Amino acid sequence: MELKVIGQPEDESANKGCSASSCGSSDDQLTHLPEDIQQKVYNHPCYSEEAHHYFARMHVAVAPACNIQCHYCNRKYDCANESRPGVVSEVLTPNQAVKKTMAVAANIPQMSVLGIAGPGDPLANPDRTFATFRMLSEQTPDIKLCVSTNGLALPDAVEELSKHNIDHVTITINCVDPEVGAKIYPWIFWNNKRIKGKKGAKILIEQQQKGLEMLVAKGILVKVNSVMIPGINDEHLQEVSRIVKSKGAFLHNVMPLIAEEEHGTFYGVMGQRGPNAAELQTLQDSCSGDMNMMRHCRQCRADAVGLLGEDRGDEFTMDKIEAMEIDYEAAMEKRAKIHSAIEAELNLKQSKSKDSSVADMVTGEKSRPVLMAVATTGGGIINQHFGHAKEFLVYETSGNGVRFIGHRKADQYCSGNQTCGDGETVLSQTIRSLEGCEAVLCSKIGYEPWQLLEEAGIIPNGEHAMEPIEDAIFAVYMEMRSEGKLKMLDSGFSSQAIA
Amino acid sequence: MALTIIEGCVNCWACVPVCPSEAIYEAQPHFLINARKCTECEGDHALPQCASICPIEGVILNAVGEAINPPGSLTGIPPERMAEVMAELQSH
Repeated sequence: MELKVIGQPEDESANKGCSASSCGSSDDQLTHLPEDIQQKVYNHPCYSEEAHHYFARMHVAVAPACNIQCHYCNRKYDCANESRPGVVSEVLTPNQAVKKTMAVAANIPQMSVLGIAGPGDPLANPDRTFATFRMLSEQTPDIKLCVSTNGLALPDAVEELSKHNIDHVTITINCVDPEVGAKIYPWIFWNNKRIKGKKGAKILIEQQQKGLEMLVAKGILVKVNSVMIPGINDEHLQEVSRIVKSKGAFLHNVMPLIAEEEHGTFYGVMGQRGPNAAELQTLQDSCSGDMNMMRHCRQCRADAVGLLGEDRGDEFTMDKIEAMEIDYEAAMEKRAKIHSAIEAELNLKQSKSKDSSVADMVTGEKSRPVLMAVATTGGGIINQHFGHAKEFLVYETSGNGVRFIGHRKADQYCSGNQTCGDGETVLSQTIRSLEGCEAVLCSKIGYEPWQLLEEAGIIPNGEHAMEPIEDAIFAVYMEMRSEGKLKMLDSGFSSQAIA
Repeated sequence: MALTIIEGCVNCWACVPVCPSEAIYEAQPHFLINARKCTECEGDHALPQCASICPIEGVILNAVGEAINPPGSLTGIPPERMAEVMAELQSH
């Protein structure tokens, strides 16, 4: 399968970045893909950037066991305040998981996808994982099923996966070189033995690659996740991207390492740092010449519920679900209506974006690229108060259009900063998270953050409320240019992004 | 002759399906090994399976009460570094 290079500056005319309807170039992304793949991803929030504004997903935590150890994971940890992969509040039985899925799908009609992602490895718990899939494919046939895995047990599971009509699989592949792997995976459990170091990593890598090839041969869409670990696999990930693309992976999601002492992970305790936003963007950009990159991942929990970027898991604990009275038939009908309404809206936006003039966003001369942050609740417009934003979407613009780069968390993944933080206020944390951005666009902003943003060299801007994101960004960029702010070439953050 | 699971086990289920003797069972606050069923995998495997897949150091003991996976052996975190970090976190 030949993958198109998507949303990249290679073809300047196609590089308008995002349409008025989305936070990225996903309209372009999808229309470049074969029709059958478009049909598979248009409503999957983790596979389509566009879909993630409209469709919701959930993970059910039925898979506690794991067959490997990763240095970024601590199997002991459970914190309700934390949002990161591998963290859950309660492990469910397959029956409980089905009940929860049906309850959530009845209450959140935007729900389109059910995933099993842990807290261990789903395929190291094949009985629990497949029992859940079997029941769901009968009871909620309209919900897409997907699974993510470390890949060790994948080759043995491909046949079973294809039986359950699971057409999305995510494999976490952090390396293709056992030397690198030995620094990430201290051991694997394989053929009745714990195998440590390079030998274990080599087996894991072989199984991952074999599993990837087998899935592609079955026509199952594969997304590859990689954790970027500075000094360990950061440079190596470009090679990973090239190889997985050549084997037919559809999307590559490079995520930043999350490592804090209090997580008790090897990397956290040993002081391994995660990448900063600039390093992550640089790597994603350098992989993107070869591969379709995912940039809207929120690194959610293994029991996350709702739209990406929100977690409504608290509303659906097992005791609350037991108390709910649900008409499942009616819920499925309602879901079908909501889904087709969203689909119609997406189609309309797509046809509009084809008509909109790319030339309007091209100045003709190339000047310094600039990063800007946007506060939005979705729908592609600037519609959120600065102080209400839990995250900011980051866009890059130059004389040649606007493109989505990623998101920055405003209140960090751990919201319990009063108990475990260092006393830094949420506001100053937020401003620090916007490092590298030169402007922040929102519907409104208070006096205090205005002042602090200015002191940090970030222009606050509330003048484009309710306007389409990229129109507003382009307007602000043109203002900056007329003020002579774009003359010198910035040596730091954004200069390499479009180069 | 049997292994035991002690406090610290996180109930992750990894050991249950790999036990050839079906000796491990779910219990609160943590999983337990039925001493009458446990064979330490003798005759089935070279090494006890539960202790070969368990991700938590120090929670599976051999017949004489020693940890099969002592501190540092699985995570690679030197115990003294772990102690240092724990002390630092508790002082906050």
